[in-house]
Amino acid sequence: MNQFIQSLVDAISGGAILGLAALSIGLVFGVIRLANFAQGEIITAAAYTLIFTWQFGWFISIPLSIIVAVALSLLMEFSVFSRMRTATPATLLIASFGLSFLLQRVYELIFSNTVQTAPVGSALAQSIDIGGVRIQMLSVVTIILAGALLYGLTLFLSKSSLGLQLQAAAADFQTARLIGISASRVIGLSFALSGVLAAAVAFVSTVQTGAVGPSFGVPIVILALVGAVIGGIDKLSGALAGGFLVGFATSMLASWLPQDFSNFRDAYVFGLVILVLLFRPSGLLIRGRGVART
Amino acid sequence: MSEILSKGKTSLRWRLGPLWSLVSLLLLVYLVTLANSFMGDSVQVQLQFALVNLIIVVALQMFIGTSGVLSFGHIAFVAVGAWTVGLLTIEPDLKRSLLSDMFPFLFDVQAPWLVAVFIGGIVGGLLALIVSPFLMRLNGLQAGIATFALLGVVTQVLTYWSSIGPRSGQSMVGIPDVLNLQTTMFFALGAIVIAWLFQRTRPARLLRAAREDGIAAAASGINVVSQRIIAFTISGVVAGVAGGLFALTNRVLQASQLGIELTFITLAMLVLGGMLSLSGAVIGALVFSVIDVGLVQLQSGVDIGSLVISIPQGVRPIILGLILVGFLIFRPRGLTGGREIVWPFRSQRTALPGLPPNNE
Repeated sequence: MNQFIQSLVDAISGGAILGLAALSIGLVFGVIRLANFAQGEIITAAAYTLIFTWQFGWFISIPLSIIVAVALSLLMEFSVFSRMRTATPATLLIASFGLSFLLQRVYELIFSNTVQTAPVGSALAQSIDIGGVRIQMLSVVTIILAGALLYGLTLFLSKSSLGLQLQAAAADFQTARLIGISASRVIGLSFALSGVLAAAVAFVSTVQTGAVGPSFGVPIVILALVGAVIGGIDKLSGALAGGFLVGFATSMLASWLPQDFSNFRDAYVFGLVILVLLFRPSGLLIRGRGVART
Repeated sequence: MSEILSKGKTSLRWRLGPLWSLVSLLLLVYLVTLANSFMGDSVQVQLQFALVNLIIVVALQMFIGTSGVLSFGHIAFVAVGAWTVGLLTIEPDLKRSLLSDMFPFLFDVQAPWLVAVFIGGIVGGLLALIVSPFLMRLNGLQAGIATFALLGVVTQVLTYWSSIGPRSGQSMVGIPDVLNLQTTMFFALGAIVIAWLFQRTRPARLLRAAREDGIAAAASGINVVSQRIIAFTISGVVAGVAGGLFALTNRVLQASQLGIELTFITLAMLVLGGMLSLSGAVIGALVFSVIDVGLVQLQSGVDIGSLVISIPQGVRPIILGLILVGFLIFRPRGLTGGREIVWPFRSQRTALPGLPPNNE
């Protein structure tokens, strides 16, 4: 029973990370129809920043990593995606796939192929004992962090003028422009917010592993992208829930499948994805064919 | 009278134009291979890989270019083709000692390499056929993600399932050294001929119609899904054969070689040439490979007079990545712009099947 509660908490925190990552992809997709494969490299950049600046204290390192993530996210938009406004989602996916490959090789060139390590957030690495159940401190922090970010994001999107503009643009970009919402501002905002979320994902994953290599973000972004699509990438809630589901399922499979089978963990998740897409092509939470609109 | 004559000419051009596009592509591949056979051994090895990649790109074009549906999953067919050839050509004794966890019946199955390559193609095609009812209903982004998931499943199964290959982290070795550059070239020429013939079949025409306007095509009674299944399966066969050739060229197999990176490289080749035409696939693969060979030479240093020019080790893939992204931004239709090569001695360009409305 105790073991089950432990694995449940771990799975919720695993789901929370992928939920945030999927949300960061969904934010951008809602506005410009880009499923950004290179989001993983934003996460990697933030993670490298944490590793290299952790010695100066968390109050410097964490803000710096957020700044780097937001800057890289905006740089991608201005240098690549803003020039591809008429491209189809599939072409944009190929472009971001190429960008992801490109940035990984750049990281390889700068930071070498070996992993860089630093005791980032080592205070969170311990377990705490609650009534006989040992729970990882990091899992609790992850869940609280994800909850706080979601609450803040919801407040921002539903209360502030900019947030409402972003929501309008995500719902119907053309109409939003017609009523005077600045396209470039809304797109920039979505990339910036997605950078902030990427930095949060990077923080949690870096504390977890303590080591960052050039392809650090790739497995995260693959599962997040897959989660966003099966949840319904067209809606923020869909992307979030899909990401959570995939993270939760992978973590549960990892704790409960016997060793011989858990090697194939991702294969099961991917197989499930193909099935979900077959029956609900626009996502589990979306009614009708949401994504068909271009 | 003159009108009738000119109509006759048009129809002749209509027939010969596409044939010319086939012949010129075959000549191009032949000449590039011929030119390279005078170069050093290392270039020849690279060229053999380039020809294998060319076949993969042709397979990609047969499906992506014709149907307009994105596939990140073709490398899965390449991988099973390669695996098949590996298992069929390694000596039984070697298999017993190195791949001891395998199903016992796999130890004794053997085939001559040429037969093995064709079986590899059949296995690739079978996998494509089995998964196609699941994948072919999807469009755009969903198709991209689902085919990517397929690649993920296949890579992971080949990595970890030691009943059909090496234990995870190890590689399959002992694949015989039987394939030379010339034979690989004949396979590449064969793939181009098959793709060209396929372009002229009914399923390919219907798919091109559906690519340009899905709703109109469906309204005209085209069953898009079943046509896509045909195209996917045939291109899966070609990809499987390419996988077999990859196994015989590389002679060491590991699942990680047949994953995201190869997907990236072959897609980049297709985008570079222009995914809407067969000429685009062939030219893209050749140009990309020539650039790549050049960059490899630069890595080891090139003498120009008294200067030695060289680039650091990691710069090559960065340049290749820049080419892909740059083309997607500035010339999304690729070098060929989606056209086939046309007969050069006419002033007027012949409209060919597969040519989309030029709205850029």
